[in-house]
Amino acid sequence: MINTVQLNHPHPYPPRKTPFTTPFWEALAEGRFISTRLGADGAITFPPRDFDPATWSRDIEWVELSGRGTLYSVTSVHAAPEAFREFTPYQVAIVDLDDGPRLATAFLGPVDTPLDSPIEIVAMRYTDEVAFAARPLVD
Amino acid sequence: MGRVAVIGYAATPVGRLQPRTGDAGSLEHEVLADVVLRAVEMAQVDKSDIGGLSFAQPRPYTQQKYFGTFMASYLQLPCDGFVAEVLGNGMTGGLAFEHAADNIRSGRAKVALALGVNYETAISSGEHMMSSMRAVGDVDFQAPFGITPIAWYAMDMMRYMHEFGATREDVATVAVKNRHHASLNPLAQYRKPITLDEVMAQPTIVYPLGLYEVPPRSDGAVCLVLADEDVARASGRPYVVVRGTGFHHEGAHQITATPNDMIALNAAQKAGGQAFAEAGLKPSDLDFAEPYAPCTIVEVLVSEALGIVPRGAGAKFAAEGRTSLGGDIPISTSGGLTSRGHPAYVTPLYNLLEAVEQLMHQAGDRQVQDASVGLATAELGNYNAALVHILERVS
Repeated sequence: MINTVQLNHPHPYPPRKTPFTTPFWEALAEGRFISTRLGADGAITFPPRDFDPATWSRDIEWVELSGRGTLYSVTSVHAAPEAFREFTPYQVAIVDLDDGPRLATAFLGPVDTPLDSPIEIVAMRYTDEVAFAARPLVD
Repeated sequence: MGRVAVIGYAATPVGRLQPRTGDAGSLEHEVLADVVLRAVEMAQVDKSDIGGLSFAQPRPYTQQKYFGTFMASYLQLPCDGFVAEVLGNGMTGGLAFEHAADNIRSGRAKVALALGVNYETAISSGEHMMSSMRAVGDVDFQAPFGITPIAWYAMDMMRYMHEFGATREDVATVAVKNRHHASLNPLAQYRKPITLDEVMAQPTIVYPLGLYEVPPRSDGAVCLVLADEDVARASGRPYVVVRGTGFHHEGAHQITATPNDMIALNAAQKAGGQAFAEAGLKPSDLDFAEPYAPCTIVEVLVSEALGIVPRGAGAKFAAEGRTSLGGDIPISTSGGLTSRGHPAYVTPLYNLLEAVEQLMHQAGDRQVQDASVGLATAELGNYNAALVHILERVS
């Protein structure tokens, strides 16, 4: 399970959902961060995909991730696309999850957070949608 | 058939050309036709010799659609070589050059044009970024976080400082150096010299990069005249040949799920390796380099990836003046994307134009003395793909 952060406004740029990706968003709404992997113990990919990109095998399974990892890089965006202007400056990051995959996401922490320091993935509950983000891990 | 040569070129100064709604400014086809006529005049070939047209696809903001075939008509130019618009994000202009070169290599044309016009400055940055954030990331799993194109480069910068201990000041000297180069380039958008203090004092755009360390919004129109080397040789005048070409796409869009060394720019390493191998040259043989580098940090990283400067030392080399005009290896003699300007879809054609102008010894006050071999690059994504050309003067 991952933690959930409540927001009081709608998502500025909601993602599209497909029959295949819907389980990911439904799990996120329940506080679970899931993706796909090759077979029962193969490499985990992100975003979830209905085939393994390395082998093109369709033998994939959903798996729940710990959501823990490290901060690979981070920046803050001061000049933003129109939909995001009211939120500037906002942080985005690239994180490497302990489960394997690298992903890019919003970052709920200061831009001077040390790189390689621990992070956790959280669910972001907007008034209309659910998304995810990374934030510094506080034990 | 000989090698592919470049025998003529022309371009508009980079800047804000696109008329705003209701204004009576010159439109894309008019500006580009003027550039074509000037480039072909320089090449001293007959119009009937031109057998192929390879366009950088215009921005979606260009009202005239099927722009390439429209221009073939506007110029009244029948062709047996392929006429097409190509698209590949920031690499677009480089792919147009390759498409024209293929018209020469295949024998479909003796003379072929690589050309394009990029009009976008009448569109606000906020609106433009609504499109560009979808170009540089997964629309559903990355764009919803508001990750802009240069945010990826800013994250390269953060990682570079973390891994190599480079300072923001050292990287920022690239902007000062390139502005000096631009001050000597009539095609450059920003020509007033700037100091390091001024660069550091600019408002942050994507942390830690400030206004002078990221590309401006730009329009431009450019045409290169390519020819079979037989045609070039028959002219009796100096010309430029393509001595080596390299391309690699790493099968990634910004990042993949598999962690790697993001700032090694492995596509540039591989494409550069191919180009140097074909040319039978090594990085130390270059007289100058004109990389596609939208931000200061990108020039540092791609110079390192190509082996022009040692890994981790690119920013220091810039700070020491070793990559300035008159230094060991001048980089971005045009002023680069931050100062020459960045009309994105035709930027690689401007970079190739700079390389050709240097090799034809027509670069005026910014001429690299006795330049005989130069390199230009194009890229897309976060250097997920790279196209590298090594060009050589023949006289």
